Amino acid sequence: MAKEKPLWLDTIVRLERAVGEQVESFVRSDTYFDLVTQANRARARMTETVEGWSKEWLHLFNLPANTDIREMQEQLARMERRLVSLAKEIADLEEDGKRPTARRRAPVKKQPPPPAE
Amino acid sequence: MAPAVTPIDLISRVNREVERSLLRARNGVRYVTTQPTVGATPKDVVWKRDKAELWRYRSDAPIRYDPPLVIVHSLVSRSYVFDLRPGNSTVEFLLGQGFDVFLLDFGSPDDLDADNTLETYVDEYLPRAIAAVQAETGSDDVTVAGYCLGGVLAALYAAGYEDAPVRNLMLWATPFDFSEMGVMVAAVREGRLDADELIDHTGNVPADALYSGFFMQAPTKQVAQYATLLENLWNDEFVDGYQAMAQWSREQVPFPGAAFRQVVDEIVRRNVLMTGRMRLGGRVIDLENVSANVLCAFAENDNVVPVTATEPGTQLVGDPARREELRLGGGHVTFATGRHAFKHTLPALAEWIAAHSDELKPPKER
Repeated sequence: MAKEKPLWLDTIVRLERAVGEQVESFVRSDTYFDLVTQANRARARMTETVEGWSKEWLHLFNLPANTDIREMQEQLARMERRLVSLAKEIADLEEDGKRPTARRRAPVKKQPPPPAE
Repeated sequence: MAPAVTPIDLISRVNREVERSLLRARNGVRYVTTQPTVGATPKDVVWKRDKAELWRYRSDAPIRYDPPLVIVHSLVSRSYVFDLRPGNSTVEFLLGQGFDVFLLDFGSPDDLDADNTLETYVDEYLPRAIAAVQAETGSDDVTVAGYCLGGVLAALYAAGYEDAPVRNLMLWATPFDFSEMGVMVAAVREGRLDADELIDHTGNVPADALYSGFFMQAPTKQVAQYATLLENLWNDEFVDGYQAMAQWSREQVPFPGAAFRQVVDEIVRRNVLMTGRMRLGGRVIDLENVSANVLCAFAENDNVVPVTATEPGTQLVGDPARREELRLGGGHVTFATGRHAFKHTLPALAEWIAAHSDELKPPKER
């Protein structure tokens, strides 16, 4: 197949590499990651501002905002997670005999914790 | 001097191009209108907890080796990469070699899984899944193959339990030195973005953010890939393979928020795996405590987890007398697909597993 690679494809591949190497070198630079970080934070701030503004207006007309719904969804998810966790604890207690036999290594008190940077 | 083109050659070339153009048109329509068939090898769910499922694959080939093999998939992509399509499937290959193959799939997390920590995987899912394999097969122990981050989980499990029934531990493209992970972790390293800035309202890191991480490794590469697809669009096999792989690359899964915070704080920023020890579930796990035979397998051209990030595993995990390393050609997915996979990678891995397993005589029917 390599022998049959047509000229147009070869040209595109070479062009892509010529441009791609420059782009890749940029997206691996500190400048790029600093830009991404700033852009991400700016977007978050802007979203927060717009949501805060629209929330005030919607509440004025006694309407729920998207953030209200999201907060409610988050609360429900937290409650559901707690329920699932309790259900698992009960199921594990009931299946005590069938639980895995492998013993966890006891905490090693004498070992120093991994050094911080 | 180039040989002269005869009229017959010319007609034959024109015929071939017309034929290929028709096939290109047909396959082009097929490419945009159909979904590839992935994960087609028949399997049974033998254990389930939350979204984690343990699959046992079926095959007509008899089982020639004990212990069974359990593939532990990563947390950041879909596990069907190991069963991409018939004729191009790691699972199918390993079944054909006579292994009893299981795969631990962690599913696609949603807001119910946002509290999943690394302990959830290491102390809750893995011990139970391995116990389920033992119950299902009657084997005393297992061979565990952890892929990418799944390798980290498997190593922490094997080291964290003094009687973990792991005879062989294979670490496939498993990162240890996160200071060498480059572009994949650069956004959260060195005090740039905090973990919480990437976690959305579901409590998880959205799949899109993970896809962006992979995409930004080589943002222009897709141009050459699409051009190659266009040239080979007449070839059914090429199109099927491309379509399956393209789908897998796009389909990342969300990363559970609590586990992501641990990964960022401990594994990426403090790079604790390089100390050989990690605090998890109220104890310190020493990677040297792995009592299994250990194989660190890594690919020379891996752009996602570079060799420099995986190589330290050969110095950190298990007993030095029982550690081996396997350097492979290909990239991050050489464990699942690609030119090297079926010629070199998988035969080498199968050979290692067989050499560290008991051969069943006579072979066992499934």
